[in-house]
Amino acid sequence: MAQVPVQTIHRDPQLFYWILFPITIVMILTGVLRHYATVVMASAPKKQDQKTTREQRALIHGINVRGNHHVLSKPSFAARRDALTTAYESGAYLKDPENRGQPPANPMSDPNAMEGMMGMMKNQMAMIIPNTLIMSWINAFFSGYVIMKLPFPLTIKFKSMLQAGVATKDMDPRWMSSISWYFLCIFGLQSVFNFLLGSENAANQMAQQMQMGPQGGAQMFGPGVDPNKQFLAEAENLAVIEHYSVLDGVEQRLLEGIKV
Amino acid sequence: MAPSILHPPVQLSPAAALALSQQAPAILRSSPSTVSSSPLNTLLSGSEKPEQWLQYENLILSCLRTGDDQAAHACLRRLVARFGNDNERVQALRGLVKEAEAPDNGALENVLKEYNQILGENDANIPIAKRRIALLRSMGRLSDAASALVQLLDFSPTDAEAWSELSDIYLSQGLYPQAIYAIEEVLVLAPNAWNVCSPTIAPDLSPMLMQRPSQIHARLGELQYMAASAPGAANGSSQKYLAEAIKRFSRSIELCDDYLRGYYGLKLVSKKLLNDGVKAAKQTDDSEFVLPDTHTIERLNELATAKLSEIVRHSAANDRGWRGYSEAEIAAARELLADDASAIKR
Repeated sequence: MAQVPVQTIHRDPQLFYWILFPITIVMILTGVLRHYATVVMASAPKKQDQKTTREQRALIHGINVRGNHHVLSKPSFAARRDALTTAYESGAYLKDPENRGQPPANPMSDPNAMEGMMGMMKNQMAMIIPNTLIMSWINAFFSGYVIMKLPFPLTIKFKSMLQAGVATKDMDPRWMSSISWYFLCIFGLQSVFNFLLGSENAANQMAQQMQMGPQGGAQMFGPGVDPNKQFLAEAENLAVIEHYSVLDGVEQRLLEGIKV
Repeated sequence: MAPSILHPPVQLSPAAALALSQQAPAILRSSPSTVSSSPLNTLLSGSEKPEQWLQYENLILSCLRTGDDQAAHACLRRLVARFGNDNERVQALRGLVKEAEAPDNGALENVLKEYNQILGENDANIPIAKRRIALLRSMGRLSDAASALVQLLDFSPTDAEAWSELSDIYLSQGLYPQAIYAIEEVLVLAPNAWNVCSPTIAPDLSPMLMQRPSQIHARLGELQYMAASAPGAANGSSQKYLAEAIKRFSRSIELCDDYLRGYYGLKLVSKKLLNDGVKAAKQTDDSEFVLPDTHTIERLNELATAKLSEIVRHSAANDRGWRGYSEAEIAAARELLADDASAIKR
């Protein structure tokens, strides 16, 4: 089998200084800038008023009693259960008791919820705008030619990733165009930002998009959840508990367990 | 264990607190007095650490305790410079410093007025609410403190620290059932923590969670015992309390099998039961705890006696692995054992 001749493309060595370098530096600078922009734009966490705190913590209290009922004696548990179920069912802990039974307000009309969404929008904007700008800048100035050759061989699959914008069928995938370098920078600069800005930076949009996925804790009291329904459900949970106490027969366990 | 500056200094001996506060000048010198937020600085010096601020907080506490007000002020200034005047924790710490420096009752009244004003603006400011309660208590206005605590617990019923403080206040007023209820709440909130708060020694409600190595079960047992032996407790209810006390002490030993207070309490209760003569009263409704039979109580008593004398013996010899018991508790245990022995001789 004949050896495939090594492709050589004569490039101006200045390409390295005038394209590769500037793109990298611009990417790093926008990352840093984005970090500080997010810091500046972040609104201070909103203070909760007493009633909201009361509503949320009353529910957590109920959950705690339900989860740890076994440390209590039977009469004390029964007393707590009665008190909590009555209060839950009568809506004593609700933030605004007159809204009971009404369907939850549209989250769009709630100013608190709107603020949270605005914050998210701001973050999204801070990612999208600079990325669009840089990409169009690269496309306008540096598209249509390869700028460097990777020092290791690659399979043909990498062609579409590394040679975006250079539609040449037979070219070795090791050759790389500027737009590909840009993508590599997006994904690969996280550690640089960690070094520059500390590990909790907001410079890299990729890390932020990863975080978007699971956010269970916030949902419990999030907008659009009807606290009255939560309370009723919790009252039901409390009611069905079959109480046992950790103190039942503890003397026997102790006498069997501890030998002097 | 050497006291660390990173733990809240709530239960230190005076000597240890002094040692900590003497570190203050060195710590203040070693860290920069202002933290600049300019990007260049963070680039050069690395990011700030939360431990540093914790350190300042704890330094304030031990410096105030040992009378080094200057260092406390220096720490406070740095916290203010970093977090601003309106931060809730900083507000509470500033109040604490003012309380500590107040020369007379009038000054304390002024501090109290300030607290009231802050709470008027933001009634969900929990650190300040707690400081206010602690101040009320240290000014001797126990019932005010209790009602303020009840109010705090109404909107924040998941605060174990506040519940245990409430229990302590009720106890000092002799309201045993209420105190028991409050400490049961602590147990519900922290069922497995065996070193949470039981503010028996220094009732200061600092804005941080107190950590006191006393098991809540044992604490609850102590309360039940006190309730049972209080004058005026009816015979039936006193038996009920004792039955639960013995179970609570057993549970605390089950959780930590060389816990001196647990054994002490167990011995005390079982001795009382044996002396009084247990009437194995047939409980009509099965919802409440019944006293175990005499044989079991005797065996529990023996177990507690044996274990107590073992602890006393080993810690008198200062054996490895048996250190760390408090002197006072060992002495009390020794006394209890000696009491027992003399009773047998007679």
